[in-house]
Amino acid sequence: MAETTLGGAEALESFRREAQDAEMAFRARVLLCMTGCRSMGSMELAETFRTKLDAAGLSDEVEIVDAGCHGQCVLAPHVVVEPHGFLYGGVRPEDVDEIIETSLRQGKPVERLCQSVDGEPVSTVDEAPFYKGQQRLVLANCGKIDPTRIEDAIATGGYEALAKALAEMEPESVVSEVKDAGLRGRGGAGFPTGLKWELARRSSGEEKFLICNADEGDPGAFMDRALLEGVPHQVIEGMIIAAYAMGASKGFVYVRAEYPIAVEHVAIALKQARKRGLLGENILGSGFDFDIELRMGAGAFVCGEETALIASLEGDRGMPTARPPYPVESGYQGKPTSINNVETFANVPAIVLNGKDWYRGFGTEGSPGTKIFALAGRVNNTGLVEAPMGATLREMIYDVGGGIPNNRPFKAAQLGGPSGGCLPMKYLDLPIDYDSLKEAGAIMGSGGLIVMDESTCMVNIARYFLEFTQDESCGKCPPCRVGTRHMLDILDRISNGEGKMEDLEELERLAEHIQDASLCGLGQSAPNPVLTTLRYFRDEYIEHIQLGHCRASVCEGLVSAPCSHACPAQVNVPQYVGMVATGQLNAAVDVIRRRNPFVSVCGRVCDHPCQTRCRRADLDDPVAIRALKRYAADNATGLSQTVGPPASGTSEVAIVGSGPAGLSAAYFLALMGRRTVVFEKQPVAGGMLALGIPEYRLPKEALQRDIDFILRHGVELRTDATVESVEELKEKGYRAVFLATGAQEGRAMGIEGEELEGVEESLEYLRARGLGKEPKTGEQVVVIGGGNAAIDAARSAIRLGAAKVQILYRRTREEMPAYDEEIEEALNEGCELHELLAPNRVVGEDGKVTGIEMTRMELGEPDDSGRRRPVPIEGSEFVVECDMILPAIGQRASIEAASGLEITSWKTVKFDPVTLATSDIGVFSGGDVNNGGSTVIEAIADGQRAAVAIDRHLGGAGLLPPDVSMSIYRASDEELENATVQTPEPLLPVEERLDGFREVAFAFHPEGACAEASRCLRCDLEKVRS
Amino acid sequence: MSTVNLTINGQEIVAQEGQTILDVALENDIHVPRLCYDPRVSPSGSCRLCVVEIEGERGLHTSCTRLATEGMKLATESQTISASRKMTLEFLLSEHDARCTSCDADGDCALQDYSYEYGADLGQFGSLVPEDRELVYTGGHRGIVYDPSKCVRCQLCVKICSEVAMVDALTLKGRALDVRVSTAFDLPLNETTCELCGLCISACPTNALWETKAQGKGRAKDLEKVRTTCTYCGVGCQLDLNVNPRTNRIVRVTSEPGSVVNDGNLCVKGRFASRRTGSSERRPGKRP
Repeated sequence: MAETTLGGAEALESFRREAQDAEMAFRARVLLCMTGCRSMGSMELAETFRTKLDAAGLSDEVEIVDAGCHGQCVLAPHVVVEPHGFLYGGVRPEDVDEIIETSLRQGKPVERLCQSVDGEPVSTVDEAPFYKGQQRLVLANCGKIDPTRIEDAIATGGYEALAKALAEMEPESVVSEVKDAGLRGRGGAGFPTGLKWELARRSSGEEKFLICNADEGDPGAFMDRALLEGVPHQVIEGMIIAAYAMGASKGFVYVRAEYPIAVEHVAIALKQARKRGLLGENILGSGFDFDIELRMGAGAFVCGEETALIASLEGDRGMPTARPPYPVESGYQGKPTSINNVETFANVPAIVLNGKDWYRGFGTEGSPGTKIFALAGRVNNTGLVEAPMGATLREMIYDVGGGIPNNRPFKAAQLGGPSGGCLPMKYLDLPIDYDSLKEAGAIMGSGGLIVMDESTCMVNIARYFLEFTQDESCGKCPPCRVGTRHMLDILDRISNGEGKMEDLEELERLAEHIQDASLCGLGQSAPNPVLTTLRYFRDEYIEHIQLGHCRASVCEGLVSAPCSHACPAQVNVPQYVGMVATGQLNAAVDVIRRRNPFVSVCGRVCDHPCQTRCRRADLDDPVAIRALKRYAADNATGLSQTVGPPASGTSEVAIVGSGPAGLSAAYFLALMGRRTVVFEKQPVAGGMLALGIPEYRLPKEALQRDIDFILRHGVELRTDATVESVEELKEKGYRAVFLATGAQEGRAMGIEGEELEGVEESLEYLRARGLGKEPKTGEQVVVIGGGNAAIDAARSAIRLGAAKVQILYRRTREEMPAYDEEIEEALNEGCELHELLAPNRVVGEDGKVTGIEMTRMELGEPDDSGRRRPVPIEGSEFVVECDMILPAIGQRASIEAASGLEITSWKTVKFDPVTLATSDIGVFSGGDVNNGGSTVIEAIADGQRAAVAIDRHLGGAGLLPPDVSMSIYRASDEELENATVQTPEPLLPVEERLDGFREVAFAFHPEGACAEASRCLRCDLEKVRS
Repeated sequence: MSTVNLTINGQEIVAQEGQTILDVALENDIHVPRLCYDPRVSPSGSCRLCVVEIEGERGLHTSCTRLATEGMKLATESQTISASRKMTLEFLLSEHDARCTSCDADGDCALQDYSYEYGADLGQFGSLVPEDRELVYTGGHRGIVYDPSKCVRCQLCVKICSEVAMVDALTLKGRALDVRVSTAFDLPLNETTCELCGLCISACPTNALWETKAQGKGRAKDLEKVRTTCTYCGVGCQLDLNVNPRTNRIVRVTSEPGSVVNDGNLCVKGRFASRRTGSSERRPGKRP
């Protein structure tokens, strides 16, 4: 093509046709991301493609396009093969032969290179959920054309809008078109773009300037970079149109020097545009003059602020100045200046070309169009996503983003970078636009969207962002320079466990002042992450301060290894895992028992928060910590060895209830030298462990082993001993009482017909079985509920002869609180699960149950926990036939013995979260009676904490046995790398399970245990060594 | 020139168009605290002390950067304003080496005065003053000494050097708490364009910039000013000799902005060459 100036719209049109014809010469195209994916080796890949295509004699038929970013960064290096649209990720040079053969010769996808979604390979761009969920208007050509070729840009419609504006529109009509289209500034504040141009246009002065703000600095945001790198001509076209509309004669692109590819591509594009008469004098023969200069910024975050940017452009130190006057009145060199963001400019050509009505067809009323978000953090498809305004976080994270790795639950999303805010679960379905975000406490910002799951600590994340803004403060005004530092110091204290409760108010006081008194937007918005986390996650701050606990196991000052920190009982997990790896099982059991006497129990039924936090999960799977504990407990030879000498003397402490909380308290008090008496109402000890959890999960012998071990430390157990009140014990001379009566009663459904024969509360049913009776079981059993008790009841019923067991739950399986592995096994054993059904009334005949009427539900708006609320579908009632109903819809704390103590409105005992002290001096409470039902390990932890508090109350030091570190075993780096997948515990075949209550899971074999334990990364040693 | 009518603290005032609120207030004897304001240089709005409330507008606005406009109604004092000023001052104090008892500027320090006025608490926030003295651009300089632990980052020295002296010897460096006044490339002052006029010292609201030789020779509140005319050349600049009555020696030389001929500006001789008055080589005679 001749290197000539394009004198007008016609010349442009013929140039376009020529460029398109040149494209048509190829029958296929391979699109390679040569910008972001460079860091993953796309240059080498392109080189390989070219050489191999040459060798295959295909270089005349197949074009290799050095394109820009295609958005799905998780697939880097990202390859698309057109015309089929095959989409490949992680492509290495050695894959090129196969792509040429299969895709380019045979036209078939190479499935092994495709991303797999739900186990199925997704072979084309059109099928990929990542692209399907998007609305790519601005990014339409990004990743599809070679940004260094103006021919590519023009062939795909580039400069068509400019030609239209110059030839057919007055500047004023361009302004009003953009104004009416409702385009708002994509840099974050959302100021109406057309209005800004209008103000600049009306400002007096001959000379006016236009600036493209490409000083993108938010951590994790890179949409401006992608646009400049991938479609620079689109941005330049938008700028020329803007300049024409507002009357500017000169423009600047102010881009960070840290974006070398963007700088290079913009420089090339400017040169090309100038050469073609699209920049400079008499653009497209219209008589309009405008040129653009490229300037590089040195990387100060504050230079994204418009007045600081102007100062930097003028050659001064990049520091903001007070507004007003606004740049539209007095900007660069005191002249009227419009500053717009890269993405804003990239929106302009399409608006001019297609008109305001077309544009308003996307997005919301107040925020039309689309917005590009940079998805980052705990999300499967990280990358750039363009969605219409008004899309929800759920759509963005789950549909486009492919959800959260390892299916961990969503916790929060940080929107708008360091100036934005963290939004919790309840905003998952919030339609995102400028105004809704502001209301929720976040901002649109540049569009950074960082997804966080429960492994993110909200105190830490607030600290991280504040550290960033504090570091980037230009230092001009005291609130931002000094105030943010004081806030940061407080956050540092809190995350080191040295915070005070007053700190929270102090943070808010400081934040308010900094917001009000800072000079520019950086300072004014710097406290936002702290304020939003304080607003939505205050509990986490309080936990750090009061309990020294970081629930995400992140804060370094508090956490040595995430697993042991996550364990409510603070068991030294890495220590005993290391011992299992080296075969020291007795030592391993001893380590566990220093914090948790129930080794055999917890090796089987613990909900293992340790495993959930295991850092190995970030590499592949978490270490199977619970199974290792089980293995140690089942195979140690020295199980009868006590941890300390038995306590002697008179009993000063009475413990009510022999469940995990009560017995643990007795055990730890014994280790502190205090004898206790444990009163148990039932004929057997163990509480829910004995009478709630069925033996196929926890055999009686395993439980008895742990109870015997505890009793060996000098604990007196009295079964069949009912305690009427705490007072009674005090009168008997006990100086302290620990109330651990649990939550024995099930909640009633509160519906008609509940009294009919055949309705039996599931806890009652399980207790009967636990006491050795054979509870009467129907033929057709219906279980109502979705918790562990529901699953236990269902699996027991099927073992006790029920022909059919149906679990009916009002939400969906995803929301069921029961452990997933339990649900899975229940289904394997033949139980049926029916979702979205709520009980209406029990149907019966002659006083006996014949069925239950259920209402179908659908998921509606999410509640505060972010779970979508089930809403009844009217007229959907139907009857499920059955002869037995086992409701399992919740527990009630057993507070009968708590008379005289303060009780909460939830009908649980009111207690101090640190010491577990109740309203009565000397009386402590823990376990289920405090919260109406929680986990075994939490009950054990309560027992431990109560023991410490009781010992101190009685004048002791409250010291737990020393938790010495002895194992420093860590597998070699090579071994750690090679062992990748978690070994599951072997399970009893289903056909051998149902005729009794035999334990379902087996312990590891020695080799399996050793291999599994050797997968531990020993995070704890990191601190020891450093 | 046209005028605008505005109301400050209920008082109706006629101002010139183009005047800032602060200029109007000061002209009408309305007290507004300010650390980064000097009529000789352009406003920067950095100290956040001159904030006012404007009717119909959200939040606080710096009066030094905001132009007075027709019909504007504003307040220079309120509970909100005082609370804001107090906390801003407390921020400044927390990065300030506030040992006023041993400070040369004691008695002539705007930070000290405002802290007293607004009851700013020195111990409200933890101290951010670095423990070690750092090397700065005036390290070992015989004329001027800069102490960043006394600096409030008002930029007046930088601005006056650039806008009045037109020398551009000074600049800011660093970010956040590390912001310091320095010279280009951190060169020692003598190797820069500095002409040693000392205007930077005259603009400093605290003791961050001071005459090296005046250190420890008398606190500002002890000194007596004696107005005289410089004898070095024929311009006739007005000087204030700051004399310590106890030793009867000139400690430093200052000059009032607004003084006839020199408007507070001095040259190196006028500002620094005062020691000759006490030279033993001088012809004996009556002491001044």
